[in-house]
Amino acid sequence: MKRNIMKLINVKIWILAIAACLAVQAASAQVRPPLSFNFNYSIAQPLGAVKNYSDKTSFRGWQAGLQYMLTDQVGVGIKSGFQDFYYRTPRAVYPTKSGDISAVQTRTLQVIPVLATVQYQFTKPDAVVIPYASLGLGVANMNYEKYWGMFVDKDNSWQFMASPELGINIPFGKASPLLFNASVQYNYSPYKLAEITNFSTIQGNIGLRWHIN
Amino acid sequence: MKKGKKNFTIVSVRRKVFLGAIVAAAVILSLGSCRKDPLNDMTEEESQIYITNRDTTADFSSYTTFSIVDSVAVAGNGDTARRALTDYDRQLIAAVKSAMQSRGYTLVDKSAKPNLAINLTRIDETFASTYYDPGYWSGWGGYWDPFYWGYPGLGYYWPSYYTVYTRERAVSIDLLDLQHAEADKEVKVVWNAMFRGAGVWNSGYINNMINGAFNQSAYLKK
Repeated sequence: MKRNIMKLINVKIWILAIAACLAVQAASAQVRPPLSFNFNYSIAQPLGAVKNYSDKTSFRGWQAGLQYMLTDQVGVGIKSGFQDFYYRTPRAVYPTKSGDISAVQTRTLQVIPVLATVQYQFTKPDAVVIPYASLGLGVANMNYEKYWGMFVDKDNSWQFMASPELGINIPFGKASPLLFNASVQYNYSPYKLAEITNFSTIQGNIGLRWHIN
Repeated sequence: MKKGKKNFTIVSVRRKVFLGAIVAAAVILSLGSCRKDPLNDMTEEESQIYITNRDTTADFSSYTTFSIVDSVAVAGNGDTARRALTDYDRQLIAAVKSAMQSRGYTLVDKSAKPNLAINLTRIDETFASTYYDPGYWSGWGGYWDPFYWGYPGLGYYWPSYYTVYTRERAVSIDLLDLQHAEADKEVKVVWNAMFRGAGVWNSGYINNMINGAFNQSAYLKK
């Protein structure tokens, strides 16, 4: 008897769970499936101390992510990417402890973030343009390579990173699983190495989002 | 029935996520290397660095006369150092000589008890089997021939920035204090210039390198 009740409760839990899942799916699956993948080309402008170190806009970057919509307007996900900063100085003299070094410096920094994201979309998924705001929190791999002539000062480390982002998704047709994506994000990391006292950049992304399931 | 469908959906989602992850990993691997290579477009001149170090306790205006070696030591690759006098070496000696004279020092013969002595060394470690690199900033102690300058009995003081390293060619200028050698019971290296990078054994760069090293050492004057 007791065993039968337990069995019944188990079945009820199962049905409730399935129903809940289906309800969530149905709510968002009306327009497009909840799981999406995005890939973007990125341009980044260094700010502050990074600008002093490597004063050149980076056109070598990309970003990719996976996102799951919990509701019509709220999604969670992960994202990663790559950005390469590169700047070559004219020959200059740099003081050292007991002397000086004259060198052409090539200052590079490669950043690979790995962030957990939460996104809020300001419209329902059937809108023609879907503006959103998101926040990414996580870590970033900082690969610092400063060349003195052909000789390099190297450091590789992981740092905390925060990236708020504002963007728009434009579906290719009302219920299309494929969307055009454009966004602007700010990246901050309390990264300290030599002349870099903290890391901040502003980044523009353009690419595609594809709802796969 | 429903449960079966649900399982099927979960498996299908997992498969797609898995496939997506593989695609993402492949993309990351292929694009992660799309950085600009700093060494790719670097000229020989850009690759060169001029490192100068000095004894911060030395008073460079207290010296009056100097003498310079009549040939250049060639050290490295585990060989016993030898002396050479190629066209490059002649130009190097001449360039250092005139740079010292322009800073107010008087060139004398080594028999005339100069205050300062200058050693020149070309270092060739391109085929060395051992490799040790504590950093670009460290100097390589130039080849030291105590008998050449006539102080065979004294110990030698090498500042801490001297370390043996490199798998490359380099050129080193050592300025030795002979004026205080007897009193200090040692011959001090009071100034060193190191030229590292591609083409430093090419005579076309001698003037650039010597001018650079002296310009960044404004304290080195009578």
